[in-house]
Amino acid sequence: MIENQTKTKNRTKIKLVVDVFIFIAFLVAMDPRSSGIAIHEWLATSLIAVLVVHVLLSWDWITRLTRRFIGKINSQSRINYILNWLLFIAGSVIMLSGFMISESVLPFLGLSLPRNFAWRGLHELSTNLFLVLLGLHTALHWSWVVDAFKRYVFQPLARMFSAKPGKDLTV
Amino acid sequence: MRTLGRIFIILAAFAIVMGITYVTVNASTASLSRTAPAFERNRDNGPRFEGERRESRGAGGAVRLLFGFIKNVGIVAVIVALITIPKSLQKRKAAPVLNNKE
Repeated sequence: MIENQTKTKNRTKIKLVVDVFIFIAFLVAMDPRSSGIAIHEWLATSLIAVLVVHVLLSWDWITRLTRRFIGKINSQSRINYILNWLLFIAGSVIMLSGFMISESVLPFLGLSLPRNFAWRGLHELSTNLFLVLLGLHTALHWSWVVDAFKRYVFQPLARMFSAKPGKDLTV
Repeated sequence: MRTLGRIFIILAAFAIVMGITYVTVNASTASLSRTAPAFERNRDNGPRFEGERRESRGAGGAVRLLFGFIKNVGIVAVIVALITIPKSLQKRKAAPVLNNKE
């Protein structure tokens, strides 16, 4: 029982760190004009691994809802599930179109792909869509975000600052 | 081993979505390239000129990066506020009044 609780606690902590990293990295990568093409591309490529970890951490929820989707589940879970799939599709389109117009990662790896004028437009469109979906995703998980921040960031910080110094026993 | 299998499933799903997108885009642009003028087709292959590169460095770049970051956070914040505030207001309305003395 206690072991299970510790496991869940650790998982929530890891989830929080991973999610904050994804959020910040995506926002930085979204502006290649300022960060530079190289940072934009390498950061976005590294996000693939982090996104896989994010999906792995929610694996039980995904499989449970996939099995029950046709049956009886509440509407918020259903919306959440569909939204997550849309996020996954938009993310995949961003990655693919990004690789197709890559100026840094693929040339570094010695690869070159045929150019097509449609990929740049698709890359921008899917990125803007992803930002909106990310907002909706955050909104639907807002209570979890607030709880996790309270428990693992604000409360430890408050405890650290409010900790009374030990009594001075020396006379 | 179980985690490895899950990673494989996730990457396979990525590959399927990417494959469908690739085929769709190529099919749609192949039919378009037959009708579009040559300069439109080669728009992405054209020569690059000095100053065209879409990135900036130095202090200006940092300020722009910060501005872009704030703008994107703002968009997400607005969406979150638009959904969570009405939701919490609705919850507050639906909650029973506990301190009613009458």
